Amino acid sequence: MHHAETIDIMQEPRHLERARTVGHQALFVGVAALGAGVAVALFGGKLDGFLKSYLVSYTYFLSLALGALFFVMIQHVTRAGWSVTVRRIAECITAALPIWLLLAIPLIAMAAKIYPWMTQTLLSPDMAALVEKKRQYLNFGFWAGRIVLYFLIWSWLAHFFYRKSIEQDSTGDPKLSHWMHQRAAIGLVLFAFSLAFAAYDLIKSLNPGWFSTMFGVYYFAGSVQGFFGLLIIVVAWVQSSGRLPRAITTEHYHDMGKFMFAFTVFWAYIAFSQYMLIWYANIPEETRWYLSRQTGAWAWFSVFLLFGKFILPFLFLISRWPKRMRELLIVGALWILLMQWCDQYYLIMPAENPESAGAGQLPLHLNDLLCFIGLGGIFIWAVTQRMASCSLVPERDPRLHEALAFENY
Amino acid sequence: MSSTTGTMTATSAHPKTHAKPVSMVLHGLLAEFDDDHKLVAACKKVRDAGYTDWDAHSPFPVHGIDRAMGISMTKLPIFIFFCGALGTATGVIMQWWMNAVDYPFLISGKPFWSLPANIPVIFELTILFSALSAVIGMFAFNGLPRHYNPLFRSERFKRATDDRFFISVLASDPRFNLNSTRSLLESAGAAAVERVDDTSESEAPPRLFIWAHAILLCLALIPIAMIYRARNAPIDYPRLHVIFDMDNQEKYAGKQAANPAFVDGRAMRLPVAGTVARGMLRQDPALTDGRVGDRWLTVFPANVTIDDALLKRGQNRYEIFCAPCHGFDGSGNGRVTDVARERGLGWVEPKNLHDEDVRLRPVGHLYNTVKNGIRTMPPYGDQISGESDRWAVVAYIKALQRSQRAAPGDVPTEKKDELNNRK
Ligand code: HEC
Repeated sequence: MHHAETIDIMQEPRHLERARTVGHQALFVGVAALGAGVAVALFGGKLDGFLKSYLVSYTYFLSLALGALFFVMIQHVTRAGWSVTVRRIAECITAALPIWLLLAIPLIAMAAKIYPWMTQTLLSPDMAALVEKKRQYLNFGFWAGRIVLYFLIWSWLAHFFYRKSIEQDSTGDPKLSHWMHQRAAIGLVLFAFSLAFAAYDLIKSLNPGWFSTMFGVYYFAGSVQGFFGLLIIVVAWVQSSGRLPRAITTEHYHDMGKFMFAFTVFWAYIAFSQYMLIWYANIPEETRWYLSRQTGAWAWFSVFLLFGKFILPFLFLISRWPKRMRELLIVGALWILLMQWCDQYYLIMPAENPESAGAGQLPLHLNDLLCFIGLGGIFIWAVTQRMASCSLVPERDPRLHEALAFENY
Repeated sequence: MSSTTGTMTATSAHPKTHAKPVSMVLHGLLAEFDDDHKLVAACKKVRDAGYTDWDAHSPFPVHGIDRAMGISMTKLPIFIFFCGALGTATGVIMQWWMNAVDYPFLISGKPFWSLPANIPVIFELTILFSALSAVIGMFAFNGLPRHYNPLFRSERFKRATDDRFFISVLASDPRFNLNSTRSLLESAGAAAVERVDDTSESEAPPRLFIWAHAILLCLALIPIAMIYRARNAPIDYPRLHVIFDMDNQEKYAGKQAANPAFVDGRAMRLPVAGTVARGMLRQDPALTDGRVGDRWLTVFPANVTIDDALLKRGQNRYEIFCAPCHGFDGSGNGRVTDVARERGLGWVEPKNLHDEDVRLRPVGHLYNTVKNGIRTMPPYGDQISGESDRWAVVAYIKALQRSQRAAPGDVPTEKKDELNNRK
């Protein structure tokens, strides 16, 4: 490696106009897939099944965008130097957040079909009394209001950090970096609470009788793990399109790989912490959630998740060289992205009542795929439109030279 | 700044501490540089000239120096990985041995060897082994600690911790040649090059050093000796109580003084009027107390049905609460008993439940033993709460007793083969 000569960022190709057309194509495919999904659901008369499939991919892409928002803020709050060359791409990924508020509308409108606490008939009788005690928190109005509030917070944060960063592209004012540094600290606190509660409201409340204060952290850990998978893919795409050829180096891939590894371990740590306490205490209200996931085919799915989301990536990423070999790292990143989707599937799909008739079967359905393609297309569209509209690197960031000269020792 | 040019070498042996002059041998060449850029540039030259036995010295870490010196990637991570894996294995094997083999003990009704419960310790040991091996390995791979280096004989070298940069090429390097190496270093931009000599034989460490170590070693033995004595010598005073836990809590029991917290001065509260405390309901004394009037029940109460489920439940409760003393088979050889015997603690041994007198006890009496204890055996009514669980334990004891004195006719026909095939 030869970083002795300094790279002049202004000589780097750093605009990806092609992203706009890619985005339009993705949007077309996505909307078509979603339409097909709705049609399948209406003809099959299984709207609740469709909504659950929708929720899986919805929380999946949401987690990636939230991971990006977290990444942007954590770079600012720590005044990180190495990451400046990839930060703009993360800022672009957060563009999906406001769109995701719009996509929440069908979810909110038809929430009563899947959230059992809204309709007593979906609940097992022994749960009804317990859920009644949570009425103050779990009622439709408050719930929907909270969802909107979370998205307002996220969209506002994402917008703020993107706008200031863009502003710096033209002014080059280092004060903006200080400003973002300070705001990031407050933003992270807001982020932590809103993310945790969003996880309780969107996912955990599918099992309203279940208790786990760790659940928010679980969703967070998976989000950031998945986000680094996505970041590696997008960065590789940008570079294969001939953009930022010298600004982003193996060193940056190595660091993104390290983060992906770290959050792989962190996810396992949190997942196990949640599991062990419940397993040890062995209280029926708590174990039923895991019981649903340890009956029948779900037991195998849990094992698959344990190996796929932790053990294999752990062994794969622990060494230095796979993180420095682009092709290998991309394979790892794709795998992590797949596993993050499986994790959402595992959180959302199993039956609320482990004794109910369908418990223990994987409800695999065409709609799982259609919703994935549909929401994925819209997600890609949101991200690429922003990517096409700005420079792919914060070109006048005061710490850019650190990122350009960055090396791992 | 560099006024002491090259003259230190001749006087570098300490004249005060040595009566007779010591013969000196050539150790190597030391080159001084003004800044880190010059150091890195010079390192590349020395590297390219093919030297192997040399080093660079700097007051702060210099980026890129390892590449400039041609140092290959460290093997430390591989060492750490295997040590970490050793920690994982230690965690697994240790807990399996302790919980399932050497001292099988039921905890929370989980299996003796139960992986989820072991993971925290496995995890910690993995981290511990990796962290320790990282530190120890780093020292070992660097050849540290090294208490003495001939370079310290150079006065000039002291500034290596301050504001000067050095390259030392050792005479042991196959390419070393006093003249050519010196000119290489000079041409590489050295501000000064000096020759470093060392004594031909190693000097003994100072006497004080030896004595201090000897004394520290003796002092370190004292706690071990105290522990040894405390574990082996009988004492007639209470053992040292380091942590004041619940053994020594404040309480009113036995104080015979009025409790200021309540108007009536009682420490123990009476139950609220019209309520019955848990386990105190005695509508059916046969069921709840195992007796009618002052006669023990000789048959199980009517509303206790003896079936497989009850016996299984009884076995489960028995193995958790009774087996530690009475043993899994009831003959009084539980783990607690074993330990008490090994240590020679004088205590009343748990009864062998197959003794004549226990066998002839009415079931009501056994029930009472479970609930209220007997003589030195403490009551288990609180732990085994609920009448049906207690009767289940009694039923299991009866089954245990029968199993020890069973006739061939007692064996169900479908199990006969299994019995006959056994040697
Ligand atoms: C802490 C050790 C310990 C545990 C645990 C224990 N026992 Fe005992 N048990 C004893 C001792 C000691 C005696 C003998 C008491 C004596 O002779 O003073 C005894 C005596 C007995 C006897 C004979 C009483 C008699 O009729 O003379 C029975 C029956 C008995 N235990 C049943 C049980 C059952 C059932 C449990 C489980 C609920 C249990 N024990 C748990 C220590 C224990």
